[in-house]
Amino acid sequence: MSAEVGITVNIPQFIQHLTNNTKSVEVIGSTVGECLEKVCLRFPQTKDSLFDKDGVLKANILIYVNRKSAYPNELGRPVKEGDILDIVIALAGG
Amino acid sequence: MRGFGAYKDRALRINLTARIFTEEALDRDVIHNFIGGRGFGIYNLYKELTPNTEPLSESNKLFFVTGVFTGTSAQAASRWIVFTKSPLTGYVGRSVAGGDFGAWLKFAGYDYLIIEGKASRPSYLYITSEGYEIRDAEDLWGKGTKETQERLTERHGKNTRVACIGPAGEHLVRYAAIMTKERAAGRCGVGTVMGSKNLKAIAINARRNIAVYEPEAFSELVKEQIKMFNNNKTCQHHKAMGTTDTQDVTNSFGIFPTRNFRYGRLIDWQKMSGQEYLKYKIGNDGCYNCSIRCGHIHYVREGPYAGSRSGGTEYETICLFTGSVDSSNVEATIASNQICNDMGLDTISTGGCIGFAYELYEKGIISKNDTDGLELTYGNHAAIAAMIKKITYRQGVGDILAEGTMRAARAFGRGAENFAMHIKGMEISGYDPRGAKAQGFNMATSNIGASHNYGYAVQEIFGVPFPRPISRFDEEENADIVIGNQNTKALLEVGIGCEFSQGWEWFPVLFCKMLVAATGIQEFGDVNYAMKAGERIINLERLFNVREGLQRKDDYLPKRFLEEPLDTRGAPGNGQVVKHMDKFIDRYYELRGWTAEGHPSRQKLAELGLQEFGCF
Repeated sequence: MSAEVGITVNIPQFIQHLTNNTKSVEVIGSTVGECLEKVCLRFPQTKDSLFDKDGVLKANILIYVNRKSAYPNELGRPVKEGDILDIVIALAGG
Repeated sequence: MRGFGAYKDRALRINLTARIFTEEALDRDVIHNFIGGRGFGIYNLYKELTPNTEPLSESNKLFFVTGVFTGTSAQAASRWIVFTKSPLTGYVGRSVAGGDFGAWLKFAGYDYLIIEGKASRPSYLYITSEGYEIRDAEDLWGKGTKETQERLTERHGKNTRVACIGPAGEHLVRYAAIMTKERAAGRCGVGTVMGSKNLKAIAINARRNIAVYEPEAFSELVKEQIKMFNNNKTCQHHKAMGTTDTQDVTNSFGIFPTRNFRYGRLIDWQKMSGQEYLKYKIGNDGCYNCSIRCGHIHYVREGPYAGSRSGGTEYETICLFTGSVDSSNVEATIASNQICNDMGLDTISTGGCIGFAYELYEKGIISKNDTDGLELTYGNHAAIAAMIKKITYRQGVGDILAEGTMRAARAFGRGAENFAMHIKGMEISGYDPRGAKAQGFNMATSNIGASHNYGYAVQEIFGVPFPRPISRFDEEENADIVIGNQNTKALLEVGIGCEFSQGWEWFPVLFCKMLVAATGIQEFGDVNYAMKAGERIINLERLFNVREGLQRKDDYLPKRFLEEPLDTRGAPGNGQVVKHMDKFIDRYYELRGWTAEGHPSRQKLAELGLQEFGCF
């Protein structure tokens, strides 16, 4: 298992009302999944916006690592110190 | 096979008055400067139309234009586009559609059609690879778009594709659509112009015959494109849901227009969520050669709307037929979509006009006496279908609403103007600008009126962090984002790439490589060169509007967004108004290189090589 490191997770505007308007957090984790878990531990209300009942990342949630899509297998994607995660809604338009 | 690369090097001019056809070669300079699709559309509209042409007169023209990739193996890129002077706005009219029709037009051997004059009686065009003719359409006049297409396909064979108008276009409803299957060139009243020319349909019988400049290289690039799409989560989600769950997001954000843009959320929106729509799904539909097949076919099995079937209920339709009347009834929406498609109506403007009528009814400006007894009370979705028919056939209050909210408000008087939600005369798409300000400003400054797709603000709606993350409540700070979105969209539409595909990683780098392989023109591979073409298109559309008298005030949002705080019914963003309309416009014009009145400056025209268009 790789060492835990500091990662920046940018909180998107669509869940900032669930994070007391916090726009960005630093977390420790070795994978995208661990980082998101830390976000949900700190802001429990965000969990329902990101994960389904079985703990799977929702089909309409996309994660970028350093501005590149982490899809597929997002949650298992390794991250390293200094990486930046963005949470995006995976919709194409309306 | 004629042409070079993906171009057929041929336009077909049809004069309906004189019944004369002329074939014309493409201008090489125009190709280099405008690339194709939307670029060809605005170039020809500007060059061909006399200023101040009455949109519904014989002098107006229609341009049916294909893109560089239309009919090729490229994915999400076989669309077609109609240009005309809009009878709704009086400015440039541009409307994009999918299906197969664009590919068939190219198979017949044409990059675009120029339709001018007016037929003396109802007619349709019949085009094949071998020839063309104007045929009588008396037997089709009055028919819905479904039956019209069925009859023409039966008459001319399975290998026929049709674009046609319905009764709404015949009755000159100012927001009539042109339909092919159940895909619409919906916006700007392009179907109205077709109706004014007594042109019921265009039927094309042709077989696949598209060449590209470098077939092997192009094929490899398409493989790369497919791989990108398969590995793109947004694309895969779009494949699964289409746009039928966008309302889940917009309601959560408090930007779902409700009660004619007074509220930002339907109280019980979960009843019409994307998951609810899946319960009605019976199949998929797609555009030519596109593997995504994002159109969802919905069917209602029981209840008052039993038997309703709609081939592609999209977010905008969902929004405008629920929020407008404050009802979350999915089945009424599917039925309304089906009726609009068959009548040949733009669902956004139709829903917007009906929402306007509901508010006027609430305020006592119109009553049951005006609606032939229909009760336009919020929650009453049962009145929608009847209202659509009234608009289509211009019966009673429908005759006024068929003019669009801007003109209808003048006719109703008694303060109705305060509730007419339009930009430049065109009804507003399903986003409240107070809670999605970049999207709102995009619609405000759009040259075609209130179109979300003129430069969709993915950054604020979906949180896309490119080119930078933005706040949906910021205003003039995001002028650069609005401009970037509009320019890139214009470039995508030279393809004509699908709106939804813009974020599926192929655009712009692979897109530009594909332009080169398709055409053999090396400059198109330079993303900066291509982006400049996008900017050139936007500026020429603006020049067309300036020539028609556009002023700064035409880029304003309706007063409601500037003065009435948004009530989100508990969603985030409650109380928002657009605070700095003028500051935004100042910044937008400055970054565009336009004057304080919104006209492209001499320097900007010189930079874009558009000097010859600025002399008026």
